Order: sequence, then structure tokens, then C-alpha cells
Amino acid sequence: MTPELFFLLASVLFSIGLVGLVSRRNLFVLYMSIELMLSSVNLLLATFSKVLGDASGSVIALLMIAVIAAEAALFLAMIVHIYRKNRTVDSDTFNKLREEVENA
Amino acid sequence: MLEISIFTILTLFMLGGSIAMIINRQTLFSAFGFLVAMIGLAGMFALLDSRFLALAQIMVSVGAVVVLSMLTILTINAKRENLPYEPNKYKWIAVSSLLVLPIAILIYQSTTALYQSFSTMEPVSSKVVGKLLFSQWVLPFEIVSILLLTAMVGAIVIARKDKDNTEKEKEQL
Repeated sequence: MTPELFFLLASVLFSIGLVGLVSRRNLFVLYMSIELMLSSVNLLLATFSKVLGDASGSVIALLMIAVIAAEAALFLAMIVHIYRKNRTVDSDTFNKLREEVENA
Repeated sequence: MLEISIFTILTLFMLGGSIAMIINRQTLFSAFGFLVAMIGLAGMFALLDSRFLALAQIMVSVGAVVVLSMLTILTINAKRENLPYEPNKYKWIAVSSLLVLPIAILIYQSTTALYQSFSTMEPVSSKVVGKLLFSQWVLPFEIVSILLLTAMVGAIVIARKDKDNTEKEKEQL
């Protein structure tokens, strides 16, 4: 059991999250991709914590989980708000700022 | 040998879950994929001997975050015509996978290069984590509690129904 496997898994998960973030337009999928990227970093932190024999990495990962929870609450609230206004979860419809600039 | 097989099963779970997450058109199925990936991650933490982290992952990520997002998806109840129209989804996923591939290789190479300079492989006990959390890391801990409070208040304020918004909704219905 070598740490390289964990490093490989973390990098693959991060890339899957990045691919989802780039290629999808559903707001929920974007949100879950961001969560997946954060979690892969968490896995990396835990692995390094074990490799180094230093518990600080685990503590940082623990704090990260709390930050992920806070981020989830805010993101979901924003999705609900946006859905009430526009009746869609398509991220391409939120280009009001660009239209303002083009019309100015 | 046992560790390797557990690792393989968990990896298959996580990869399958996350790929299902980015491929599915129905949002709830994506959330199920995300759930499977998060449970796999908790198993990974357990495999790394950090029990406290695995418990926190199960309680916070699986128990709170994923369930909250599923509830939001069910509450919003987006119809098929309200979901984004993505005819070229697989093409986009293929192209962006090719673009992201160098980044994955870069992350893997840099982390393995870092690892070669040190290795002790000692288990991380919950006792040490708890002691560190309340001594060396007590300030970030307090900041996180403030962050959680602010996020809670902010989520309530953002998701609250405005009076004029509710009237507009009635008109749309």
C-alpha cells in the first residue's frame, strides 16, 4: 500500500471535478463538481498527514470539511434564489452583466 | 493484500460515482453519484487510519451536505424544460478531458515528487488531532465557527422569499 495510489486517485478526482465544471451547464452539477474538487484536496491532505506522521494535515482537512459545509449552504441558497427569479438552472442564462456591458 | 482490494473497491465506487455525477442529465441521479463518491472518500479516510476524519466526513459531507443538496433538488423540482438543453454534452466532456489531462499529470507528478523527500507512515490518532485542534489550531477553529454562523445567516437571507418576488411568481403561475 503506497501513497502514490492515493495521489493518483486525488488527481483523477480533481480532474473529473474540473471536467464537470467546464463542460456542464446545470448549476447543481457545477456545485457538486466544486465540492468534488475540494474533497479531492481533502484526500490529499489526509494522505500527506499520514505520510509525514503530522496530525496537522488532518486538522486542516477537518476545518476544510466545515468550510465545504458553509459553501454548500450558501451555494444552494443562491441556486434557490436564482431559480425563483429565472425559472431555470442553466448557467448560460446568467449573462445580464455582459449584456449591460455590450449595450453601454 | 486486503488493503489493496479495499482500496480498489473504494476507488471504483468513487470514480463511478463522480463520472455518473458529471454525465447524468437528471440532477437527482447526479446527486446520487456524488453521494457514492463522498461515502467512498470516507472509506478512504478510514483506510488512511484517520478515524476522526472519516467520521466527520460521514457526518458532515454525507449526512448534511449531500442530503441538503438532494432536498434542494427535490424542492426545486425542475421540470425537463427547465433543465439546461445540452445536446453536445459528451463532446464537451471529451474535449475538456483532453484539456484537463496535463493538469492531472502535473498534480500527480508534483505530489509524488514531494512524497519522495519524506516518509514515515505513522497512523494519525484522534487524540492527537483533538489536542492539536484545541491548541495550535484554535484560532482557525474559531474563525470556522464564525464562518459557519455567517453562512447560515447569509443562506437564510438569500433564500428568503421577497414580497414582490412572491407576487411575480403568482403571476407566472
